[in-house]
Amino acid sequence: MSSNNPYIPMPVEISKIIDEVDTHDIKTFRFTFLNKEDGENFKYLPGQFAELSIYGKGESPIGIASSPTEPGYVEFTVQRAGTILPGLVTAALHDMDEGGKIGLRGPLGHSWPVEFLEKKNIVVVGGGFAFTTLRSLINYMLHQDNRSRFGDITVIYGARTPGLLLYKDELAGWGKRDDIKTVITVDKGDETWKGRQGFVPAVCKEVAPSPNNTVAVICGPPVMIKFTLPVFFELGFSKENILTSLEMRMKCGIGKCGRCNVGYKYVCSDGPVFSLAQLEELPRDFW
Amino acid sequence: MLKKTAINKATELAAALMEKGTLIAPVKEDAGFNFREISDAKQVDLNFHNTIISPKSAFFPQTEDFVRYQTGKSILEATPVELNIKPAFLFGVRPCDVKSFEIMDIHFSGTGLVDPYWQKRREATTVFGYAFDLDKPAEAEEFYQTLGIGAADPEGSDIFMVKKDNDLLMKAITPRGEKLLTGLNIPSEASADDEKYFDDTVAAGRNFKTRSTCVDARATAKKFEDLFHNTDFWEKMSHACLSCGACTFVCPTCYCFDICDETLFSRGTRRRVWDACMFTDFTLEASGHNPRTKVYQRLRQKVCHKYSYHVRKYGVISCVGCGRCTRYCPVNIDIFSIVEEAVKA
Amino acid sequence: MAISFKQIEDKLKTEAKGLLETGKVSLVLAYGKGYDEKHPMPYVARRPSDADNIVFNEFCTHNMARYMVRYPAGTKMAVAVKAADSRAVIQLIQEEKVKREDLVLLGIPAYGMKNPKTGETIDSKTTCGLYNPVLYDVLLGEEVHGQPVVSPYDVLAQYEAMDKEARFAFWKKELDKCIRCYACRKACPMCYCDPCFIDQNKPKWGEKSPESAGNLMYHLTRFHHLAGRCIDCGECSRACPVNIPLYLFHKKVAKDCEDMFGQAAGMSVEDKPVLVNFRVDDSDKILE
Repeated sequence: MSSNNPYIPMPVEISKIIDEVDTHDIKTFRFTFLNKEDGENFKYLPGQFAELSIYGKGESPIGIASSPTEPGYVEFTVQRAGTILPGLVTAALHDMDEGGKIGLRGPLGHSWPVEFLEKKNIVVVGGGFAFTTLRSLINYMLHQDNRSRFGDITVIYGARTPGLLLYKDELAGWGKRDDIKTVITVDKGDETWKGRQGFVPAVCKEVAPSPNNTVAVICGPPVMIKFTLPVFFELGFSKENILTSLEMRMKCGIGKCGRCNVGYKYVCSDGPVFSLAQLEELPRDFW
Repeated sequence: MLKKTAINKATELAAALMEKGTLIAPVKEDAGFNFREISDAKQVDLNFHNTIISPKSAFFPQTEDFVRYQTGKSILEATPVELNIKPAFLFGVRPCDVKSFEIMDIHFSGTGLVDPYWQKRREATTVFGYAFDLDKPAEAEEFYQTLGIGAADPEGSDIFMVKKDNDLLMKAITPRGEKLLTGLNIPSEASADDEKYFDDTVAAGRNFKTRSTCVDARATAKKFEDLFHNTDFWEKMSHACLSCGACTFVCPTCYCFDICDETLFSRGTRRRVWDACMFTDFTLEASGHNPRTKVYQRLRQKVCHKYSYHVRKYGVISCVGCGRCTRYCPVNIDIFSIVEEAVKA
Repeated sequence: MAISFKQIEDKLKTEAKGLLETGKVSLVLAYGKGYDEKHPMPYVARRPSDADNIVFNEFCTHNMARYMVRYPAGTKMAVAVKAADSRAVIQLIQEEKVKREDLVLLGIPAYGMKNPKTGETIDSKTTCGLYNPVLYDVLLGEEVHGQPVVSPYDVLAQYEAMDKEARFAFWKKELDKCIRCYACRKACPMCYCDPCFIDQNKPKWGEKSPESAGNLMYHLTRFHHLAGRCIDCGECSRACPVNIPLYLFHKKVAKDCEDMFGQAAGMSVEDKPVLVNFRVDDSDKILE
């Protein structure tokens, strides 16, 4: 956001578009900053989000999908949204080409607590299109400067169909490494699918690592989170070691507009990352 | 410093203030009184009890323009709307409403990122508080005493005004008020008798009776936390609620807003516009998911926000007992009664 | 003969209690205590013991038909209805939002109701001016006779004397006061659209800011959505915190509709909604 006014976006340019899924409604957009100093000031950590801003359409809060270890640009994986309220911003973005210019306000919210994660084993659990900030976290942890700061890394990632899995090249790359264990599952496979089938909560029960010195980082659609949190609790993870990211309708992204509160916390400025221990302290006003 | 002017000379006072900056004061309109920017000093009318819309709009107007843009043109051609703020005088604010500014300050400029619009307007504005008329009983809807606010509390105002018969006593409360009052040549010096009258009024205001019940902020906040999942309680409280936004729009401490892009023939403005947690689509996400689909959930959000969440987050109840929400509720829902019921529950 | 509000209240309590005890209905839409006697509130009795909380006095102006659509289809309910309220029920039956067989209508004959906000007596100026419910199962008092019968359209005389430009100027001035709190549509028994057109974002019909263009769009569209449907209870105008005389437009449209098609809204369950029902002999005046 602009330095003296948090409501004014910074201009960015689309430098790359990746069509992620076979339904063509999820794309990854890479942005570069049009003002050099904006890029230098844009310091973020995995788990934070930003408002993508298109004048005439509005703004949409989206998690940052790139890792701060990849300098020079910032990426967002965006689904063309909207059944009830057509997602004007995401639709307009999907219709844009490389070279298109939009606005960006951020980074916003709190990141996954990377310092807390240090020296611990990490199990990353993702579902569907909400895998974006987890991808950021995984790439951050796998970076050569950072890998030694973390213990064993396990990734459990599920999508409804094989065609809906994001970041397919990266998934394949992680599968070949020996410093990360990757478990991919789909709700329903097709004739070419040779991997696992099953819902994320059930797969977690089966393949989750020992809770010993391990933190679960979970992000997915509300229904997946709802059923996955108790699985890890039953596996013996402490409530402080189960982390997730909440979604609420947001506007300002900076804790002023009053829209995204759950109890006394604003999801945008106090979250979106919460531990299960913190969530249980809040009223059930989000699912 | 205490000065004095005849109430029927208020027009001259208004004119003097208009020479120094923007004057915002109560004006009589056909539905009642409202604070408006004054273009003719004669419009100022102090013969009011309180306004329909709270004076928060002086700092947080219903619409605030952020950026002008043209669709089809690059973002680089969009231009932020400059805030050209002149010195302003907010004249005739009741003590409970003055208190609301302090509560809103915590949210807009005291915590986290600073809202530049609120802060700049606040800094540019001199607040003239005005004691309620203690000769008349409080209105049935009012309960500021419950929240520890007196009917003539000068705190928070730069200059505080008390009506004495046909005169207006004006006392400087802050250095900014002192400077302004010194420079105004219209009011005359007050007598020792006037000083005593002013002090007596402030003291009497502290004991002035409105509806009141014992409300301890922390205990009430906790009570509402415990009541959150009591659906029966909230359904009972919200039987009548129409889920309109009248209560939040007249409220001095409601701050929820939307950010809208409003375009007409390719020219547009990004602006913020008051919004209300009572509206069905307030929390409706583009995915169709809505955590608050029911009326009781929305009324619960409004009441808990003021009496519980705000206390937990900022340490104060976000209500000043002005009674506007009750007065303008089409179905007579009374937040004070809900708090009383909650305390008893 | 003066209305005995106390008597109506007693009968309302007795009927509500009986209906809930026998299980004939699962809820009764009536009035309950507010923060003082002048400010009673819409109330839902669900248990027989709730009936004791029911009140009725001259300030019970709210149209309880407004709340019927809030409950799932098929909910058996009793509704306390004054004259205009019963017309709202009829109109909602015509529009198939509720079924006659699910309802027990507790009719309230009354005059001299008072606006709790202003203390003014409510009459044909802001409502349909009828005294007796048009449809009911039980009448909780004696039919009102001998009160002056005034056309609900008399109040339009001054408005109709204005030419087109003057009318536009009148509405622009009035609607500029609007703060878009939507109390009018929320108080209206006929405004049940979800989502309301003004809340849609694609297409976007009007802006959210309380400025002339959006205000005119919202109100003029709403006025026309209620053409042939408004039963003239006056709740929108009483709900408005800034006193916009919305009833004037609704009355004008209702009058034109009645002139053209010979049918007033909510007068008979046998009628079809007038602007939905095409008849060969319908007036063509609407096209002029």
